[in-house]
Amino acid sequence: MKNETKENRGWLSRFLRTKEFERALIDEPSSGLSAWARTTAGVVAMLLALQFITGVLLAFYYVPSIEHAHTTVAYIEKVAPAGSWIRAVHHYGSALLPLFLLLHLAQMFVRETYKRKTVAWISCVLLLALTMAVSGMGYTLPWDANAFSSANIAEGMTSGMPLVGATARNFLLGGTELSTLSLSRFFALHVFIIAGLILFTLLARFFILRERENIQDETITVWKSKQLTRNAIVIGLVFLALSLIALKYPAPFGPTANAPTGEYIPRPGPQFLWLFQLLKYVPGALASFVGGVLPPVFFGGLIILPFLDHSPFKKLIARPSRKFGTLLFASCFLLITVMTSIAIISDRRDAKTRDQLAKQKAEEDAWRAKPFEPLRVSAENEKPKDANKTNAPTRPDAYIKNCASCHGAQGQGKAVYPSLLNLEGQPRRSTEDMIALMDNPEAYNLKPPMKSFKDKLTEAEKRSIAVWILTLKK
Amino acid sequence: MTEENKTENKSSRRKFLSFLSFGIFAGMFGTIAVSAFRFLRPVAGESKEEKWFDVLPLAEVKGDKPITCSVVVEKQSGWSSKAQEEFVFVLPQNGNQVLSSVCPHEGCQVVWRDESNQFVCPCHDSFFSADGKRLTGPSQRDLDPLPARTQDGVLQIRYVAYEAHKTERIERG
Repeated sequence: MKNETKENRGWLSRFLRTKEFERALIDEPSSGLSAWARTTAGVVAMLLALQFITGVLLAFYYVPSIEHAHTTVAYIEKVAPAGSWIRAVHHYGSALLPLFLLLHLAQMFVRETYKRKTVAWISCVLLLALTMAVSGMGYTLPWDANAFSSANIAEGMTSGMPLVGATARNFLLGGTELSTLSLSRFFALHVFIIAGLILFTLLARFFILRERENIQDETITVWKSKQLTRNAIVIGLVFLALSLIALKYPAPFGPTANAPTGEYIPRPGPQFLWLFQLLKYVPGALASFVGGVLPPVFFGGLIILPFLDHSPFKKLIARPSRKFGTLLFASCFLLITVMTSIAIISDRRDAKTRDQLAKQKAEEDAWRAKPFEPLRVSAENEKPKDANKTNAPTRPDAYIKNCASCHGAQGQGKAVYPSLLNLEGQPRRSTEDMIALMDNPEAYNLKPPMKSFKDKLTEAEKRSIAVWILTLKK
Repeated sequence: MTEENKTENKSSRRKFLSFLSFGIFAGMFGTIAVSAFRFLRPVAGESKEEKWFDVLPLAEVKGDKPITCSVVVEKQSGWSSKAQEEFVFVLPQNGNQVLSSVCPHEGCQVVWRDESNQFVCPCHDSFFSADGKRLTGPSQRDLDPLPARTQDGVLQIRYVAYEAHKTERIERG
């Protein structure tokens, strides 16, 4: 009887497969420090959700074209309520995500979970690679001076690849140079392709390629009461910290990339500082080697880790996966901390750089204090400013009174009323034809609502209207 | 402590923990939901500053018939600002009143007919007298007057859009 009510209560979960979802999530219970360390998974899930939500929100205002990108981001920063906070959460979240994924991997490595949960391990490595790629693309989108330089670096590293370099670069940029096509490609990669791959990796990990572990119902109950609370506490703290940082420090936003950037010194986000510093030591096309070979070696090394213990290596050294993994994590940790520290310290030590960075910060603050300047879109029917200086006939008043309400102020037409643009040179549309047409539209196969203006316009008015209409061009 | 008390303590602790988790998640969700709502809610009456646009030099406002004028109106929506040409009627016989040419019925462009001394909407045949009063047709109210002033000898207006269909005049936004 008791079992039956339980089944009834869970009718929805039968369709939702929440039980299976829980089983994919939940591992053996642990206690103490180890249990708290395992909350990294929850933080990663929260940060991923936050990136998706804030990213979708930003897309409501952002326009990926070099004419509009900078203005729309400025609008988000200055006008849209909570816009600055949402963008800052997206910005700082993108730096926290790789950090917590790395922590999550390290935690799984230390607890040797990677041996039992291969799918979880591999999907986590893939997520780390994908989040780095997606934030690299994201940096180009605001089209400010910083974005421009990261787009340039992406371009340079792609074109330096052996053999396929130039082709790959042309595909990335949509041409041989950075242009508005490149920006829309970066946008499509950022929001559809890479974000889609991240979503697919998550879905595959939870619903398709689950480890089939025999987890007792009791384990799930214990997990729900204790581990869920630990997760909630750590997730809440990280979220609180991220929100407060985002509230205090808006995401950096430099001057537009459409004007020469001059003395502006671009700096990447914290997750790329190590690469930025490393590239200072690497001459020429070797940069592509660093960017194109080092990460695949690291990620590839992590992915094969669970399989090493079953490989021939086992005969050579004891516990190969532990040793190789320790080497990978240690060298990665060393490289990132050393390079990031050098990058930060050298910027502080060099007086010129320090002053310029401080100046940029002051300029950005000054820009934030100024009201938003909208982008001036010239209307389709707007007269050019110097139209009066040319010899072209001006629009006759008789046109405004008799024709404009249907054919538009500049003859652009609307709805059923035809446009009067580009009539010059068309058959039966000479000046004399146009005058005759105004007298007798039916003779020109024109049907109502077009009517005769024979009695309403003088000959001179008809002529001036006809002459003016024939000057109209699209 | 009896065995019963122990289990009771345990279950109340469990209740507190699940309440705590729920509270944290609800707080986060609430923060995001409120920000998202504020972020997406359309900004009402976006440009607070009143913009005045030149219509005609006062010297040209004369005669006994409404004068059709075109005014280039600066319209800001979101991050872009667009110059758009709009038609207005100046009534020299009516204290230089300025009327919008937008029909209060469906928003078509009303035109002045010299021969009948009337304003006519070409879409659905609403007729208005020379001072903008509603005569016949589907329009529910008179033509909409626009706020006007004279500055340095030039007649200026503020361009205001009103809700269609209504009997009373309600400013849009």
